[in-house]
Amino acid sequence: MSDDLNKRIAEAQDKLAAQKRPRNGSDGKGWSTGYRMASDFVAAILVGAVLGWGIDALFGTMPWGLIVCLTLGFSAGVRMIMRTANEQANAPAAENEDENA
Amino acid sequence: MMVAADPMHQFHISRLIPFEIGGWDLSFTNSSLWMVIGVLFVIGFFAFATSKMDTIPSRLQSLAEIWYGFIDGMVRDVNHDDGKPFVPLVFTLFSFVFVANLFGMFSLPLPGAHTFTPTSHVAVTGALALFTIGVVIVVGLWKNGFKFFKIFVPSGVPGYILWFVMLIEIFSFLSRPISLGMRLFANMLGGHVALKVFAGFIPSLAAGLGGLGMLMGGLLVMPMVVGITALEFLVAFLQAYVFAILTCVYLNDALHPGH
Repeated sequence: MSDDLNKRIAEAQDKLAAQKRPRNGSDGKGWSTGYRMASDFVAAILVGAVLGWGIDALFGTMPWGLIVCLTLGFSAGVRMIMRTANEQANAPAAENEDENA
Repeated sequence: MMVAADPMHQFHISRLIPFEIGGWDLSFTNSSLWMVIGVLFVIGFFAFATSKMDTIPSRLQSLAEIWYGFIDGMVRDVNHDDGKPFVPLVFTLFSFVFVANLFGMFSLPLPGAHTFTPTSHVAVTGALALFTIGVVIVVGLWKNGFKFFKIFVPSGVPGYILWFVMLIEIFSFLSRPISLGMRLFANMLGGHVALKVFAGFIPSLAAGLGGLGMLMGGLLVMPMVVGITALEFLVAFLQAYVFAILTCVYLNDALHPGH
């Protein structure tokens, strides 16, 4: 009796999940991805600038620490955006095949 | 004549109960007050909503269940079964940020009193972000030991360029708490300032142009202010959501450092 009920609950949930899937991704996920990319990018550059400036101030190597760290920070920012984009692109496939990613 | 108030005034910290230990200013401020109110509200709401548990939930109970289920589902989506111990942490972070964001959107029906948005100060959001990253580092080291540092060594990178990629990875790890804290505070600060500035146009227009200004303020600016207010409610939720989901993503890195 309770097995039967469990089976019916599972079936109903599957049906519900199948209905819901198409509108997945329109409920704030896009917004949150956008916010994430923008602030990750800015934050990485900021970290590069502050770190470079700090190294320069400590060791008196004025432009070079800033130049190197800013470049690294910029690269890190771009890489983070690319990784976020990749995660988003792979997410629906991973959801359907579950643990396959 | 009405003059638009200073848009930054709403972020002014005022000491309610001055308090100092050894030169450190630990006063209880309006920011602290609204954090306490937020925390008490969350505790009170969930205590009240779950006081009469029913199989068929009441409206409040169902709201509490949706709230909890939302976070539970988010952690399960990102961290799968490993994330279960972290549901309370993510739930607490989300609820605190959400309620703190939201309370700043309301005004009080008392003259001179206004609500305060604790999350519009980088001190608060920065502390939250550092706490989150601290948890990530502690969990990563505790669960994986030195393997945790694999997050800096992505797999499948040829050896001659690995040192460079590692540098970039270290930079992106360092930028995480800054990104986390900055996004929340900047959005709350920026949104509230924009709201205040646009709302300030209405009295300025009325004062400057008389009847025509009132008409313009009423017909053009007011609908925009209403729209931005609605957008701010969305942002208040979205920023809490982003904070929570990024906590999950970073925790996932700590639990599975190999990418």
